[in-house]
Amino acid sequence: MLFLHLGVCDGKLFLWGEAPPGDHSTSGADQSLDFPYAATAKALMSAAAEGGLRINVKNAAPLHVWLPTWDDIPLPSSPLVADTSSSETEPVLTCWQINAIALSAEEAFHFLATCYGKEMLAPGVILGSDVRFFTKVVRLASALVAREQFLPGLLERDGGFQAVWEPAFVGNDSDKLTLLAGAMPQVCRALTHEAETARGEPSSEVVSKITCVFVDYLVRLSWMDERPTRSRSHKARKKSFPSVHDQWIYALRSWDGSMSGDTETLRYLAGQIKAWRRSVSTSTLFRLSFRLEEPEDDDPTGAWYVRYLLNAADDPSLFIEVADAWNPGKQTKTILAKRKGNIQEYLLTSLGHVSSLHLVLEESLKQPCPGGATLDTAGAYTFLTETAWLLQQAGYNVQLPAWWSSTGQRNRLSVRTSVSSPTMRSKGLFSLDDVIDFDWQVALGEEKLSLQELETLASMKVPLVKIRGQWVQFDAKAIQEAVEFWKKKSRNQTITARDAVHMALGLAETPEILPFKGVEATGWVGDLLDSLEHGADIEEIPVPDQFTGTLRPYQSRGYAWLAFLQRWGFGACLADDMGLGKTPQTLVFIQHNWETNAKRPVLVVCPTSVMGNWQKEAAHFTPNLSVLVHHGPRRVKEPELFQEEALKYAIVITGFPLLYRDFEALSQVEWAAVILDEAQNIKNPTTKQAKAARALKGDFRVALTGTPVENNVGELWSIMEFLNPGFLHSQEKFKRRFFVPIQVDRDMEAAERLKKITGPFILRRLKTDKTIIDDLPEKQETNVFTTLTKEQGSLYRAVVKDVSESLAAAGDIQRKGLILATLVKLKQICNHPAQFLHDGSTIPGRSGKLTRLIEMLEEVYEVGDRVLIFTQFTEMGQILQKHLQETFGREALFLHGSVPKKQRDRMVERFQEEKDGPLFFLLSLKAAGTGLNLTRANHVFHYDRWWNPAVENQATDRAFRIGQTKHVQVYKFVCTGTVEEQINEMIEQKQDVADSIVGTGEKWITELSTRDLKKILRLQKGAVQ
Amino acid sequence: MAGYYDHYYFPPSRPRSVKGGIKAQSKRGPFGQTWWGRRWIDTLESFSIGARLGRGKSYARSGQVMFIDIEKGEVHSAVQGSRREPYGLDIQLKAYKPTAWKKLAESLREQPFYVARLLAGEIPEDFEGVMEEQGMPLLPARGNDLKMDCTCPDWSNPCKHIAAVIYLLAEEFDRDPFLLFELRGITREELLFEITGAVAEAGKDADETEETVLVSTPLKLDRHFWEEGAFPDDLYGVVRTPPAPAALPKRLGKFPFWRAEEALLDVLEPLYKKASRRGLGVFREEDDV
Repeated sequence: MLFLHLGVCDGKLFLWGEAPPGDHSTSGADQSLDFPYAATAKALMSAAAEGGLRINVKNAAPLHVWLPTWDDIPLPSSPLVADTSSSETEPVLTCWQINAIALSAEEAFHFLATCYGKEMLAPGVILGSDVRFFTKVVRLASALVAREQFLPGLLERDGGFQAVWEPAFVGNDSDKLTLLAGAMPQVCRALTHEAETARGEPSSEVVSKITCVFVDYLVRLSWMDERPTRSRSHKARKKSFPSVHDQWIYALRSWDGSMSGDTETLRYLAGQIKAWRRSVSTSTLFRLSFRLEEPEDDDPTGAWYVRYLLNAADDPSLFIEVADAWNPGKQTKTILAKRKGNIQEYLLTSLGHVSSLHLVLEESLKQPCPGGATLDTAGAYTFLTETAWLLQQAGYNVQLPAWWSSTGQRNRLSVRTSVSSPTMRSKGLFSLDDVIDFDWQVALGEEKLSLQELETLASMKVPLVKIRGQWVQFDAKAIQEAVEFWKKKSRNQTITARDAVHMALGLAETPEILPFKGVEATGWVGDLLDSLEHGADIEEIPVPDQFTGTLRPYQSRGYAWLAFLQRWGFGACLADDMGLGKTPQTLVFIQHNWETNAKRPVLVVCPTSVMGNWQKEAAHFTPNLSVLVHHGPRRVKEPELFQEEALKYAIVITGFPLLYRDFEALSQVEWAAVILDEAQNIKNPTTKQAKAARALKGDFRVALTGTPVENNVGELWSIMEFLNPGFLHSQEKFKRRFFVPIQVDRDMEAAERLKKITGPFILRRLKTDKTIIDDLPEKQETNVFTTLTKEQGSLYRAVVKDVSESLAAAGDIQRKGLILATLVKLKQICNHPAQFLHDGSTIPGRSGKLTRLIEMLEEVYEVGDRVLIFTQFTEMGQILQKHLQETFGREALFLHGSVPKKQRDRMVERFQEEKDGPLFFLLSLKAAGTGLNLTRANHVFHYDRWWNPAVENQATDRAFRIGQTKHVQVYKFVCTGTVEEQINEMIEQKQDVADSIVGTGEKWITELSTRDLKKILRLQKGAVQ
Repeated sequence: MAGYYDHYYFPPSRPRSVKGGIKAQSKRGPFGQTWWGRRWIDTLESFSIGARLGRGKSYARSGQVMFIDIEKGEVHSAVQGSRREPYGLDIQLKAYKPTAWKKLAESLREQPFYVARLLAGEIPEDFEGVMEEQGMPLLPARGNDLKMDCTCPDWSNPCKHIAAVIYLLAEEFDRDPFLLFELRGITREELLFEITGAVAEAGKDADETEETVLVSTPLKLDRHFWEEGAFPDDLYGVVRTPPAPAALPKRLGKFPFWRAEEALLDVLEPLYKKASRRGLGVFREEDDV
């Protein structure tokens, strides 16, 4: 494991790392360094390689870093590096020697671009907060370059000169450096060559220099990349130039930018550059602001006013009227005095610059001490539409009336349409192809305008007018165009119901000039829209008799919702929180569909690890529906045969990997429904899986997921395209209309629009929702069925074979011992082959149970809940701890028998109290099954089983006890077709009997007859993936 | 500049070429884009010196002028002609006394418009009227307001060398009208001080600003040692390619006494375009950098 860090020393970036001292793959036995967590140069190099960096180990050199230290032990950035919790003294800063690798601008830039948005670079390679901080600096640099906020310059440093591209922090950007510097972790500036005093370059300097480094690199890159020969070693030094200006522009376009020559001449050039850049490098203390004020209601002249204000850079809420600044009163004087600098020069220069933008601004300067300018309505209109923009472009702050600037309000004229359809009397009578009455209307705010009023508006000279107390701006020509559009659209005064629904959801193209404010609908279309948009009045439908479970009220609603969308031909995404029972909701729907519609099969596609679970749940809830598991080497792949086979069943279950591989067979069937479980598997629309999913034929499509899909704009397209093709347009258009505006520009309106389109088709309920919280039991137990990997299967068979032979020859006492030992072995194999083999071999991909655990933990991790995981094996606990830490990059606590009391208390305290503390707590069933209070967790996993409900319940009660404020989810892992399942069934079927026979241990198993024993040990069909 | 001499032989009628001389940034057409630049040239052109004006222009464009120093009341310069040694020349214009400037400053204080436009790089058209009212015109009114002297053998004064310098000066005055004030005896900073009563930003002692930049500050041992603070939502601004390229350098205008072969904006424009496209790609995570 390795924690990567990035720090700045003398304006250069250095990569370094912390490694847990016990980890021999990353932590080094370098005697020359005193830092106990020193990462080896080799570990740094291979970690950097994950970020696309090829660095030579030879570039590593020792460097010093100041770190908080307790009793001569440095405090690590994470408890995963080392546990230093035992110390109680105050930390002090101490200097340590580390291995560091100097990165060039190019290396750092590409490395950080790869790291952006990540917490881990690879399993076990965790990015420190400093690395994550610099990824944001890179992003700021690229934003500034994209916006062309940079200028050529010349730096004198290290006795030489360098032509550079520098970021220009002007206008809205003037405070960016301060803000960024304020967010910088101190460790970024703690690197040093000399270890004398615990000082570093000021944060603002570090941020400013590094932003400059990246801006400079990016500008050069964009230029040099497109040249035929990309020679980076070419030095400007040897060339001779006619003038220093030729040399400067040559250096600006070269890779290294260095300039040599007469110091006097180069300094003179620096002076010229400064003079040239004077107008953008003025006051950083204040910003000139312009506030447009509406005419007072009782003002007979109806004059508008632009007020000039000074806005303090260090206090965005502080505004001084410019009128006061010329001859400051006492109060203003104090404010100005605090911020040195020639404020009059700044005011005069700025006003001089802007005076040419609008005549009234110029006129205002002809008075002494100007404080603002008066405008008529036409002037105000020009100011709103043109001057304000120009002022903003020039870096000034502009405040416009709220009715103008607030998003969505700017143009209060809007179009509504209305449709009327017959009232819904009995269901099933209407279809989306029905033709219904249609009309449209322009409204101002909430008030409708007549066509005549509209035409009067369109003919006014100044398109800014006060109607019914509201200032409104409009574009006569655009209004005319919009009117034409709507007239044409409503020519027949009719529309299909489908068009009306699409229009209401914002799917139809409408002219942007008159914002489309929705559809007012009466009759059944109105009811339909109401149900779609607000989930209102979705008719509950009876639960089929054949369904053997009982639904909670919210589950009945979910079931009705699925049936409702199916009825109208829309796809549905059920995205309930984990544990709310998406599977039973889906199964009851399948049963309903089977009975009411043509008896054709549905296809369920899910991760291989949950196929067993689906099979179990189907057998439990819908025992009358036949299930085909399409999986394994003996599956029918030939399309015709497969079709024939599939049509014999009600439910066909298959795994995601086969979706593409067996696509030919799967696409042969016209499915009654295609259901994707864990639909995030198709989040990337370009994968073969996602393409195959979209191409399947199904009357109805369902996506099930426990992750908050609606928040992830990037992943939404793929799922929506599967559910309701075309609703979000092509991927390109989606990117332009939604992804970029929302992710990059933070356009709230686009986000709203997207929500309007997708909202009706996504149902996500959280355990904490008020509407369902009362429906939930306080503790909910679920069996999680998983399958074995091939490796697990063959190990399992070998052990069973072995024991069958030995049992025959064993005496009574030996028999008991043998059975208990075998049980342990089989449990180990079900847990993980590495636990059984004790060989410290690799972890990922070898255990079906572990794979499922990680999948489930990922969902829990997304919502930030805390988790207890019980195992009875210390070795398995250690394997899990290591694997969880490397997978999530977060600390996982492990409490087991040999942890001393003091440390146990500390773990419990940290888990319960620490802010941003550990999310995962592994516990040995024996050591931690009683006594502890761990109510911060609301998920309890029993990774392996003690087959004793009393013991398991006691363990579960660590979380489910007084002090618990949330509902507790309990997951008991069971490997399908193994001894685990056999015993689980025995216990569940005779719960009351079990309580008495089972006692406290597992001894009762040894008392079973050999025949029964062989039956429960044998590996059943379907156990192996 | 001595290193830039050219040793090749040229017929006497043609000037020796100079490397890196000051080059007029307007490549054709008349000099003097502004009304004041134009008036400055009018003074020169009021002398009947025939073809020397045209030669002066081409000297100005081809970079024969090796340097121009503007001081209070006088301009010093050197121009490379056909002889090996460049000619030295002086141009003098009457500088006004500080007391006169003080008086003017007082009247300007009442009309911020003038100073504001001056600071923004423009002399308002009616400004000369204000100066004349105070008996201190900014521009030379007639030929003999300028005293000119050149070491060349030409009997004519002004000669083509002086003409070249006057043309170049016109271009510099276009860019920075305060150079005219400097010639008349007051720098930008001094004038600002007279008007606002405060020290101008650019005129501050370099030492003073350097003092405020700390070389190092103590490391703070708090929870921010290992953790990031909060980031503002609008850290990156609205990230788009601007509608017109290189708006920022365009806003800065011409570079003082430009000497390079290529015009600065011609160099910058394509570069800004490319950079913006690249920056946007990186920002949107479309480029694999």
